[in-house]
Parts: sequence; structure tokens; C-alpha cells
Amino acid sequence: MSDTATKPRLETPLAHLGLAARAEKPDTARGVWANEAIPLSVTVLRGLATDAAFLAPATEALGVELPTAPCTRVSRDGRTVLWISPDEWMIVADREQGSDLRARLAKALAGQRHQIVDNSGGFTLLRLQGRNARDVLAHVTVFDLDRLRGDRVVGTTIGKATAHIFAEPGGYGLIVRRSYAEYIWAFIERAARPYGFGVAPSGGPPVAPAPVT
Amino acid sequence: MTGSRYEHENARIDFSRSLSFSFDGRSYRGYEGDTLASALLANGVRMMARSFKYGRPRGIVGAGAEEPNALVQVERGAVTIPNLKATQVELYDGLRAFRTSGSPSLSFDLKSFVGPFTRFMPAGFYYKTFHVPWMWRAIEPVIRKAAGYGEAPRDPDPDIYDHVHHHVDVLVVGGGAAGLLAATIAARAGLHVMLLDEQKELGGWLRSAPSTTIGGLPARTWIDARTSELDGLAQVTVLRRTSAYALHDMGLVEAVEQRQDHVAPDGRDATAPRQRLHRIRADRIVLATGAIERPLVFGNNDLPGILTAAAITTYLNRYGVLVGQNILLQTNNDGVYDGAIDLARAGARLTIADARSEIDPGRKSRAEASGIDVRTGHVIAHAFGWRAVKGAKLIRIGADGAVLPDGGDVVVCDAIGSSGGLSPTVHLYCHDGGRPQWDENRLAFVVPEAGRAAAGIYCAGAVTGAFALGEALTQTAKVANEAVVASGKSRVTLDFDLATDELAHAPARRIFRLPDGEAEGHGKKAFVDFQNDVTAADIHLAVRENYRSIEHIKRYTALGFGTDQGKLSNVNGFAIAADALGKSIPEVGTTTYRPAYSPVTFGTLAGAHADATFEPKRYTAMHPSHVARGALFEPVGQWLRPWYFPKDGEDLDAAVRRECLAARNSVAMMDASTLGKIDLKGKDVREFLNRVYANAWTQLAPGKCRYGLMLDENGMVMDDGVTACIADDHFLMTTTTGGAARVMTWLEKWHQTEWPDLDVFMTSVTDHWATASVVGPKSRAVLEKVCPDVDLSPSAFKFMDWREGTVAGVPARVFRISFSGELAFEVNVDAGYGRHVWEALMEAGRAFDITPYGTETMHVLRAEKGFIIVGQDTDGSMTPLDLDMAWAVSMKKPGSFIGKRSFARSDTARTDRKQLVGLLTDDPDVVLQEGAQIIESWPAALPVPMLGHVTSSYWSATLGRSIAMAVVKDGIARRKPDGVAAGRDIVYAWAGGKAHKVKIVSPVFVDPEGARQNV
Repeated sequence: MSDTATKPRLETPLAHLGLAARAEKPDTARGVWANEAIPLSVTVLRGLATDAAFLAPATEALGVELPTAPCTRVSRDGRTVLWISPDEWMIVADREQGSDLRARLAKALAGQRHQIVDNSGGFTLLRLQGRNARDVLAHVTVFDLDRLRGDRVVGTTIGKATAHIFAEPGGYGLIVRRSYAEYIWAFIERAARPYGFGVAPSGGPPVAPAPVT
Repeated sequence: MTGSRYEHENARIDFSRSLSFSFDGRSYRGYEGDTLASALLANGVRMMARSFKYGRPRGIVGAGAEEPNALVQVERGAVTIPNLKATQVELYDGLRAFRTSGSPSLSFDLKSFVGPFTRFMPAGFYYKTFHVPWMWRAIEPVIRKAAGYGEAPRDPDPDIYDHVHHHVDVLVVGGGAAGLLAATIAARAGLHVMLLDEQKELGGWLRSAPSTTIGGLPARTWIDARTSELDGLAQVTVLRRTSAYALHDMGLVEAVEQRQDHVAPDGRDATAPRQRLHRIRADRIVLATGAIERPLVFGNNDLPGILTAAAITTYLNRYGVLVGQNILLQTNNDGVYDGAIDLARAGARLTIADARSEIDPGRKSRAEASGIDVRTGHVIAHAFGWRAVKGAKLIRIGADGAVLPDGGDVVVCDAIGSSGGLSPTVHLYCHDGGRPQWDENRLAFVVPEAGRAAAGIYCAGAVTGAFALGEALTQTAKVANEAVVASGKSRVTLDFDLATDELAHAPARRIFRLPDGEAEGHGKKAFVDFQNDVTAADIHLAVRENYRSIEHIKRYTALGFGTDQGKLSNVNGFAIAADALGKSIPEVGTTTYRPAYSPVTFGTLAGAHADATFEPKRYTAMHPSHVARGALFEPVGQWLRPWYFPKDGEDLDAAVRRECLAARNSVAMMDASTLGKIDLKGKDVREFLNRVYANAWTQLAPGKCRYGLMLDENGMVMDDGVTACIADDHFLMTTTTGGAARVMTWLEKWHQTEWPDLDVFMTSVTDHWATASVVGPKSRAVLEKVCPDVDLSPSAFKFMDWREGTVAGVPARVFRISFSGELAFEVNVDAGYGRHVWEALMEAGRAFDITPYGTETMHVLRAEKGFIIVGQDTDGSMTPLDLDMAWAVSMKKPGSFIGKRSFARSDTARTDRKQLVGLLTDDPDVVLQEGAQIIESWPAALPVPMLGHVTSSYWSATLGRSIAMAVVKDGIARRKPDGVAAGRDIVYAWAGGKAHKVKIVSPVFVDPEGARQNV
């Protein structure tokens, strides 16, 4: 067996852009700092929010309650649960947590109406930080960013692709599909050009939202 | 000297900063703050253009978006912009502008010699030539050469553009007195406000009327107070140089901001946009778009030096330019008098011809006290001059409009300003369906004062017909507070006074076309629309030729077309048409106001949707590997898939031959990641699949796969793919690459709207799984090297089985399915490992010379097996039976499935429909053209009945000959023994004038027994 076969190499969708090599410590000289997060686990959980037999064991297994208010998220202990639709949540966590998390969910939900899907390879998390992060988002998405504060998350468009966007302290997180990641990155980089654009070091899973003032 | 500078403190010109510029090859000087138009007028330039049809000398008429004549080309090379209005081009040092009409030169224009023959070029001239085909053919090239103005740039645009989305409580369009007041009120109410103005500074008409006072403050002080307050408020955004050009449903306004057009090209910031498109979604919109003065229509009213009176006033007060020394103002209303006094004070000799017999004595005496010669009851019969106006013949008219015999006079002058009253800028109000109303008292199409509050649209100031400043401010305060209250805020009480020092306005005289004592068409040409050379006589002619609708009259005469969209001409045109038709103006109505209010560049509309970010390109996880191996790519939907992998200068055919033979004889590999993949889970998932697929899914065991055809309600094939049973309640469906989103939506639609009771969830996993398809007799040997924990032996891992295991150290699902007819394994892994696994498989296959292949080879391999591609061999009108795929339809399964009922329709059930067949050409070297028509015999008399067409056609390296697939009427019967015996299997494929004899055969050309994939 060859060497490559024994040491699997895990690549994020933008790995080939060499962003790590371009990364710098963010400063105020440039208005926008962006990067792609390290590989994360993304789990899609489907079930009916009205179904207590689903909701209670799912919450128990996750250690995080599933948000049932539309367009909100809950982040705790490195795990973030995003409300996607009335019967869909996306759970973002460290890559290593993924299989254990799915196994616990599967066990807890056995026999209940539900679906658990590992979509870790299908998404990536992009981050926009810096004083002009909001300006750049206003260029690329139609959503009213005044309404994207605190624990809000929204599924919307970026250019001609889709993303789930949420606020994080200092900026925004964007969960995008793998195959569209390069287009979205290029679209954002283009929009950011007038403000000064830098590549920040990679981050981890989403962090808890800042309280709304 | 006809134009000159008049420096005064209210001019928005920095007289300390002189700028040089050129027009039509000659150098001039202007000042910071000038427009190209004001600077040219200050330099005494009169003629700037030749007219569209007659080549007549033309000069500046207006001072803004209404300008019809002074269209210039700014700069040369890649940054050049055609047809800008000189009135809207801000001057910068070194600006180069060029004429866009006049050939061979401005002063010598060939078209002008046509003048005497213009009776041969009447309204509707083009249409008339259509009646005689040879005439249009002869004249078209001449017209095309003569028509048009500037030239589009030939080089790629070096500028960048972007879009911004805004969400505000109140959007105020227009930064004149009304807009400033409305924005102030909304902002003081605590609302999030955006204010747009197309000029570089706020103030609107107040900048042209500096001696006006509001609440005792001079106009300029009042503007400064409002502006500094608004600029200082965090909840207010003021965008200058920003023109709102469209208003759409749901409170969406689009506006273009000129961010760098006022900067010399070499001084522009290349990293910043030249223009920005703002998409503003507002809960409430206040239209304070003001009004534009319309000229009066009289003989030779197009001579250079004849402007609107408002423009002459604006050039003096805003730009410090005295357009002429001897100025004749022709009016039918009070509006010109204040400006006339300013002009007289600046040193011009003024004559006012007022069409009214009586005017307010106070107004008259005030004018006369300024030395102005006021002649009531007078109108211009015609002006004279050629390249510049030299004077006008005045006549006296009575109250009934009749020309009076006595009086009249020749006034020598070097500039004429005319005012027929104000036309409210109603465009935005009308973009989403609103209609303006004719106000006979104000002689204007106005928008209702109440706006359309239910739709969130409010109207403030002159746009409602409130032409007097005091009236406009009072009305604005009322309307702005209505918008505030509707927004849930408290009414704002102003702490400043809105009283003005205006004289009361007396009524205007209802007149549009000034009489000259002659029948229409017999006097001097009196222009209604300058840009399109439409005269009053043209409109009369159109009516005589029985055009009754104003929309038809517009199109027949070209009234209101062009870059100015009739801002000066429309109302005069409507009124003259009404007169000719013997109807009232409201009966005639207006033409339709559509976006854009003023021209918008394509670059701005495109924004960042250009170049590399024009359209999303989707990439698979293995893409860098394909690039490294020199693949050429083809777009499939938004995906970029390897097309073929040329080696050593191979062309497409050579590479595909090599790739095909590798797959058939050894091993080859394709990236199949782009196929749509949907994870389905729930206890009713089998029932769900039974309903959405034509075949049965009840019995498929875990570990097994099955091919399925998905039909629409009409029983037509819409997608196909292999679906695997993961567990009793868990399936993985694959779709075509291009059909993934459509299928996902389709499944969700049926589940959510028709079968919500079914316990099934579906989630797209297209992007999660990366798929390498290892194809060929040696594929098992390759897999064995990297997949230690799956028994790959033929007995343990059969065709259409799938297994979970480890490939190259990564958890994988391996499917033994084949789109080539060969032994094949599809390896699916988390896309994060996709490239790693691809490289590991390439390494493992090195001993067998494993060959990467692309979509072209995939197409050939599948066609050799007669496998369809939905969308290529089908077109939305093919049933499974048409495809000879009855085996993929289960009419016996319990319940129904989508499309089943349609099989009973007589048209679907008949047996002679177009059916999928294989074709073999008589000459094995001929590769048919895809799309070639199938005909019964050749040669044949035209028209030939068409039996069908070629859907797929390739060279088969495996067979050493060409193969093709086609849909042919009654095709299946033709290739059965009876058909062959009757000779019905021999037909012709016709394309491009040539027909090839072909034989209809089974579409399965290679290995009909399926032995190769079952090893």
C-alpha cells in the first residue's frame, strides 16, 4: 500500500488557494479580514420541531437545545446548532466530535421520525472580520444586516450562490457549500477590494454570539 | 462674445481653480465646479452637435438630465463613454470631450444639405420605405451610417463597478428644498433615512434661485443648515451624484452613484468602483423629484443659443455663466421673472416676451425697475440665425390665439430662453404602474398629492404641481409627517419657519405651440423633440395619417425616444397631438414611463457579476488533480468537469480514442462527484420512492442498488439515476448532474404539498461525497490495492451491490455500478478526502496505466452501451416506452407513481411515437451530425417528412466505426424482424444538404449480453 493511502489528507474546499500561507495577523490598516475555518464537522438533523419525542432526546444527546425560533442559533461548548427550517437544523462542531455526536443522536432518536446526515465534506465556514465586514456583506447579499445580530442566522444569497450567514463578535460567519466556496470567496474578495482585504488566520467552529446592545 | 463669466458669491464655482479641457479638438479653460456644458457656454461655444435627421446645428438646451442635444463622447480608448450629456459631465483638469454628431465636421455637416429635401423625409420615413422592399434595402445602409451618436468603447472596460443593498425606513429621492425638508422631518422623527440627489451638492432648484429666502434665511444658508444637520445624523445616509433611475414594486429603488466620473481617468482609484448601483429597499419612499421646465415650440426654436429659461438662470446662478449679453426670454408664466432680474443684475440686456396679455403689475414693475423690456401679448414667430441664434421675430397674439396684425418686432439677441411652464418629474412614480394626472390649472401632468401611501409612496413638492416654493414646503411638511406617522413615529413640529418671500403666482397662459400666422408645416420648422428631430408638423402629419393613440404617434414620429426620453418634449408633443386630434390632453394621456429615468451603463448593471465572478463555477474536490494532469474542462450546469485529458498534443478525438480503449481494455477513472446525491430517510422511504420512480423499490435489500427513471406528471422522463438501499429506512439517490436541484425541489414539493403524511426526510449530500469511478477490466485489481476491508470478489460483491469499507485509509461507500458497461466501482468518500483518494487510486492504478477520462469519453462509452443521457437523448417528450425501457417501469407495483396515469392517454399509448434506436451508417467512417434529421428516402422532393433526429453520435474506437443514437417514428418496430424484412430499417440522416444512408439497429452496440460488467 502506498504512503498516501496510509496518511489520509483532509482538505477544506479552499485548501488549494494556499490561504494559510497568505494569513497575517489582522490589523486596522485593512478593513476586511477573511479566512476559511479549519475542517469542521457539519451534521444535518431533520425532525419535527412540534414532535416532543424527537426534540427532547435530540437536545439531551447534543447537550445543546435545538433552537425552534426561526433564524436563530445556539452555540455552546464548541457546538453550534443553526435553525435552517421548521424541520431542519445544522450542527457545526470540531471535526473530531462529528462521528461521536452523530452516533449519540442516532442512539437517542432510534425509532423516532428523524434524519441524521453527515455533511461535513459538503460545507465550509468562511469568516469576515474587520471594520468593513458589514459593508462588504452589504455588497454581496440582499439581506438586511441590521436584522442579523445576536443569535440570528439567515439562509440567503451571496451573488448567485447561497449561504447561511450569522453574526459573530467582530464580524460574520458564512456557511457555504463546498462546490460554491471558491466562487463565493472570489465574490467577497472582489467586493472587499476598495476597503483593503487581508487573509486572517484560520479559526475554529462558530463562537457564541455577542449580546445585542 | 456670446457667453461670459459672471463671478458672484452664490455660484458653486471655485474661481481660484482653473482647469483646462478640450472639446472637439480645441482647448478651453473652465473652473472647478463647472460642468462641461457650463464651461463651454462660458467659452462662448454655441454649436456642439448636429441634429439626427436634418444635420441642423444644435447647442445646449438644458442644464441637467433633460438635455437633448449636447451629447458628447468623453475620453478616448478603453475608458471612453459615449453620449454623455454635457450638462451632467463634471469638469476635471485635462478632460477631453468629442462631438458625437456632425460629419465630416461640426461646422460642415453633409446631412444639413439634405435640408431642402426634407419633405422627402417625413415622419414615419423608415416605415414608409418598408412598403417598397428595394427602397428599404437601398436606404438602410445610408440611414444606419447617418444615425446614432457616440461610439461604444472597443476595448475591455478597465473600470470596476459594484452593487450595494440598503434597507431604510424612509428613502427621499431628490435633494432640493422639498427633499431636504422631507429628509429632515423623517430624520428628526428618529427614522433611518436615505436621501439621494443626482447633483454633486444638495439644494436642487434653490441653487438656481439664490435670492429666495425661507424663514428669512437666504436659500444658501437654509440649504447649509439642512445639509449639515442631515450629514451629522447617524441614522441618515446622504448620497450625492446618485440618480434614482428605477422604482419597482415592494419599495425597491435602484440608483446609480457616480463615484469617480468627476476625477480624471489617471487620478481614479483603480481598486474602487467608478460607479455603484444602490439597491434600496425602503418601507416608505418620498418622491421629491421636482420638475423640469419645458420650452415653448416655435419656428427655428432649435438654433444654438436657445435654451430653456430655467437653464439660462441656472447657468448664471449656479455656475457663474452669463449665456448671452442680449437675452430674449419667451414665457407664458411667472416663473422666468426672478431669473430675469438676476440676469439683468449681472449685466445682460433683457427682453421678456410674455404670451399673456396681462400680468401681475407688481411683477411687471419689479422687472422694469431692473431695466427689463417686458412685452406682454407677444410671442416669437420664429428665431433666426444658423450656427447661433441672432434674433427673433415677435408677433402679437390675442386672447384667442389669433395673430394680431399690428405690433410685432424683430429683437436682436444672442440668447433666447423659453418657458412653457414646469413638467413634474413623474417618472419614478409611474415606473410601477402609477399614472400622472393632467392638472388644467397648472398645465402639467402631476402626481396626486396623496401619492400612493398604501404602497408606501409619498410625493412632495413640485412633482405634485406645487410649483411655488412656499406651497411646496408646506405640502412637503404635511406629507413627510404623514409618512412619519405611518412609520409609527410621532409627528415632527419644526423649529424653523417655512415662509418665503415669493410674489404670488398668477395663472399661466395655456399655450404650447406659439403661432406664426401660417398653417402647420408651412412656416419655419418648429421642433418638439430635438434629439429625434420631431417637429410640430410631424405630429400633425402622424395624426393626418390616422395615428390616434399617443403610443402610436410616439413610435411613428420617434417623439420622446432617445437618451433624454422626452423630458423636454413629451408634454408639448401630447398637447400638440391633442390639438390635432381635437381631444383634451387627459383624453390623449401620456406614453408609458419605464425605467431607466436616465441612461445607466452596462458595467453598473453587471457590477461584480463580471469576469471571474460573472457566474458561479462549481468545482469538485479533485479539481486541482485534474488541473495538474492537464485536463480541459467543460461546463455542465454550473459545474466545471474534465472534458478530456490530452497527452502530448493530442486533439479531442485522439484523446477520447485513447481514454475509451483504456476503459475497455485496462482501467480508467472518472470524477463522478458532480452527480446529484440525495439522502432519504424514514420508515415510508420505500413508499416515497415507489411514487416518484417508475419502478418498484419495496424489495430492494440493504447493500443493493437499482437504476430508476423519474417521470413527470405527463409520464415523460425527467431524470434518471441509481439509488442504493443503505438500510431498510435509508436510501441514497443519485440524479443527473444538471438535474440535481430540480429533482430535490421536485421531491420536496411532492412531499410537502401532497404527501406530508409520509415519514421521510431528504437532504442533499451532493457536495459531501466525492466520487471516483474506476472503470475497466483491471478496476478490481486497482481497488484491491487500496481497499483492504471489502471482499471485492465477483461472488461476494456483485454487480449493483454496494459495500461500506475503507479506501486509502478513508471511510468509503463503494458501489459496483457502471455507466460504461465495464466492470466498474464507484468510490464515494467525504469530499474533504476526495483529492487524497483520487491520488491514491491513480497511484494504485499506475501498474495498469490507469487513465483519467472526462465527459467526452463517458459519453462515448455509454453510447456504445445504448445508455441514455436525459436531456440529450430525451427532450421532455420521451416516455420510458419510447426509450424501449419498459423494464424500468412497474405497472404492477401497489399504489400509483407520478406519470403512470398518463400512459393511458391515447397519444402516449400509441405505438408509432418517436422511439430511441441505434443507427449504423452505411459508410462506417461517417460520424453523423447530432441533430441530423431522419428521413425515409433520399433523394426526395422537398419538403421531406421528418421521422426524427440524431440525438447522439460518436466514433467508437472499440468498434472501429461510427455509432449513433436517434429518435425515430415507429423506430422500435422498424428494427424488429418484420421491419427489417420490409426494409423499413433503412433510412437517411440528413444534415447540411447531405444525406447518409443509415440502418436502424438496437442502441446497444457493445456487449449486448452484458457479460463485461458481470465479471
